[in-house]
Amino acid sequence: MQRRYRSIPDLKIHETARALSFSDAALACKLTSMGFLPGARVEMVRQSPFGNAFYVKVDGVRMALRREEAASILLEI
Amino acid sequence: MSGSQRLPRIGVIGNPNSGKSTVFNHLTGLRQKTGNFPGVTVDIKEGNLRLPGGGEVTLVDFPGTYSLYPTSSDEKLVSAVLSDQKNEFFPDAVVYIADVNHLEKHLLLLTQLLDLQLPLVLALNMADMADELGIKVNVSRLSEKLGIPVVFVSGRTGDNMNRLVSEIEKLIPAIGNISRKAFFDMDATEKQVAEAVRLNLGENNPYRALQLAHHFEWLPFLNESDRATLATIVQTKNFVSLRAQVEETLARYDLFTPIVEDAIQQPQQFPDTPTDRIDAVLTHRIGGPFVFIAVMLVIFQAIFDWSAYPMDWIDNGFAELNTWLQQTLPDHWTTELLTDGILAGLAGILVFVPQITLLFLLITILEEVGYMARVVFLFDRIMRRFGMNGRSVVALIGGSACAVPAIMSSRTIGNWKERLITVLVTPFISCSARIPVYLVLIGMAVPRVRIGGIIGAQTLVFGAMYALGVAAALFAGWTLKRYLKTREPSFLAIELPVYRMPDWKNVGLTVWEKVSAFIIGAGKIILIVSIALWALSRFGPGDAIERAATKAQEEAAAAGLGEAETEDLTAQKKLEASWAGQMGKAFEPVIRPLGYDWKIGIGLLTSFAAREVFTGTLAILYNMGSSEADINDRSENEAKATLREKMQRETFSDTGQPVYTFATALSLLVFYALAMQCMSTLAVVRRETGSWKWALWQFISMTGLAWLAAWLVQIIFA
Ligand SMILES: Nc1nc2c(ncn2[C@@H]2O[C@H](COP(=O)(O)OP(=O)(O)OP(=O)(O)O)[C@@H](O)[C@H]2O)c(=O)[nH]1
Ligand SMILES: [Mg+2]
Repeated sequence: MQRRYRSIPDLKIHETARALSFSDAALACKLTSMGFLPGARVEMVRQSPFGNAFYVKVDGVRMALRREEAASILLEI
Repeated sequence: MSGSQRLPRIGVIGNPNSGKSTVFNHLTGLRQKTGNFPGVTVDIKEGNLRLPGGGEVTLVDFPGTYSLYPTSSDEKLVSAVLSDQKNEFFPDAVVYIADVNHLEKHLLLLTQLLDLQLPLVLALNMADMADELGIKVNVSRLSEKLGIPVVFVSGRTGDNMNRLVSEIEKLIPAIGNISRKAFFDMDATEKQVAEAVRLNLGENNPYRALQLAHHFEWLPFLNESDRATLATIVQTKNFVSLRAQVEETLARYDLFTPIVEDAIQQPQQFPDTPTDRIDAVLTHRIGGPFVFIAVMLVIFQAIFDWSAYPMDWIDNGFAELNTWLQQTLPDHWTTELLTDGILAGLAGILVFVPQITLLFLLITILEEVGYMARVVFLFDRIMRRFGMNGRSVVALIGGSACAVPAIMSSRTIGNWKERLITVLVTPFISCSARIPVYLVLIGMAVPRVRIGGIIGAQTLVFGAMYALGVAAALFAGWTLKRYLKTREPSFLAIELPVYRMPDWKNVGLTVWEKVSAFIIGAGKIILIVSIALWALSRFGPGDAIERAATKAQEEAAAAGLGEAETEDLTAQKKLEASWAGQMGKAFEPVIRPLGYDWKIGIGLLTSFAAREVFTGTLAILYNMGSSEADINDRSENEAKATLREKMQRETFSDTGQPVYTFATALSLLVFYALAMQCMSTLAVVRRETGSWKWALWQFISMTGLAWLAAWLVQIIFA
């Protein structure tokens, strides 16, 4: 079955996509206050050594996110 | 302004890592920790600033926070202070520090402060970097749109600090009579909530009233009836806090983004900066952890090898001084107090200054350059296995210098359970106070040989002690994870700051502050314990000491001992009869299974106040056993016999077996690695967890574990 949306963990290394919305309210609160807004350009930089976190750039700002956190950020297809 | 004697309070507030502490340092000259790690300041610090007009204000450096909607306890501190006008740290006015290179992200909190009707000045910090990146700001446009003064500054170079100070001065008349139009328009529900809070709790500022409704569950200053009232308001108005927070945040961005875009000219492209190239190595999936291990090995090498020299000088210097004083000063108890009590205590304090300085220096540099945030990213996964969070690594690394500041740094961990586990296990990491104990014991137990001609056996055992500490911390975390429960969310989400060359002035101030806090904090305890110990071992109940002396002399005469041996025996018996001797003897049954005698018992008892007392204690005890004899009869060389040599000569008084066998030294090492022996740490744990319960629990379980492990070692190696 084809999924109707993508999220950050689906990005390939160095792939960039635009963030649409957040699916988790607590995290949305934290990320928006850090300046991660819907509409931001997210670039996947690399995975953590144990694969459970991502190094991303959000509008040029470097950030580390856990897989669950990253998965709650829905991207434009 | 509230009180008449109280100086106006100016809060230094802003997002994490925006340079608040650097600016604060610059303005107050007060020592205060800074670092290129989001969450370096976890507590509130104060310092005074003289104004050119002759007045004076108190600057208050706050922890960084992105918004008034916090997710960790250092951030909560900011919200709690700003929601409570009676709080002792409540600022009368605010210097808002924003990183000019990320202005589009740094103004959210500023707009919230605008709505709290605080007098404000906006300092656009990191002007030096903006220049390099070609970022241009129209300061007057920004100032006009925000309705507050704006100054372009650099905390690092000190550019424009005078302007900032004069703007601060101009804020003072405005204190208490600001009334701006609200920046953010509350929706109907929010307005109703704010109005209800005003009527019931008398909070007249609508935005602060709204804050109470958002945070009533945890705000510490609310009483139960206020809390109940707020809960009812939230419920009857159907106010959904989390959703309102997100909507407010987005609305604020919508309002200030155009202002920033209008006032700032940024180069279009984000260039491939050195940070990206460095991170390609330091956060590499495979290379990253190896670099981390290499960094830790360098630190380990530094403390083991490099600090051994200054430690030796201090040790020998005190030994020389001691001998000289004993030979020069009259033979009187005051001389003994000076040499065996005070000097021994001072030596105990000073001997670990070299390595704690070195450790704080290396850790501060790692923080300043921005490496710590990467470590959080690298190890988040592993730490979660052990009930902690990537941020816990920062506390654990800090614990290798001193557990006290390390435990405080755990405030950046939002989740209560992960934070508690971090607090509870950090003292397992071998701190610098353990090093002198390790060195003495390893020197006795382990021969100075090189294994395979490369690595010294002593280095190896020393390393094993650190490994033991780390293993114990992880094991404890893994166990605690099973038993503690929480429903709080756990976040990683951390900004990875750009790498910067350390600001050496910041580094110097930080190290100085931490080392002196340590010397004063731990030093007091050590000196008091040393002097008390000297008194306890010099005096005894009734005439017990005199009787012991007479008896020893009779025994010696009967056995036909020489003068020196008689002196030794007498001193030994006197010590046994003293208060300290009695305490040690009473304690001996508890530790005899571990292979320890009553002298070590005294050492252990005294080290429950602070473990660094151990070597000092033994020095005092063993000096008493042979000091007079040393000076009069033995060769110069003997007199300077180090503690280590004296300890090696010790035998059990009943069996005549040597006390410090290989197994005993090893078991003592393990005991010191694992036991909780630091009053300062217990006090901090109590404060950070809010009750004695956890501190007590930590004390009992760590010490119990230490006893068990030491006992096992004795059984295996004896
Ligand atoms: N280039 C440059 N670097 C600066 C400037 N001000 C601060 N820094 C650096 O930015 C980093 C963070 O500074 P801090 O003063 O610790 O920041 P803070 O806002 O107190 O951070 P938290 O307490 O963690 O919220 C350090 O590495 C400083 O050396 C500046 O004006 N220019
Ligand atoms: Mg700070």
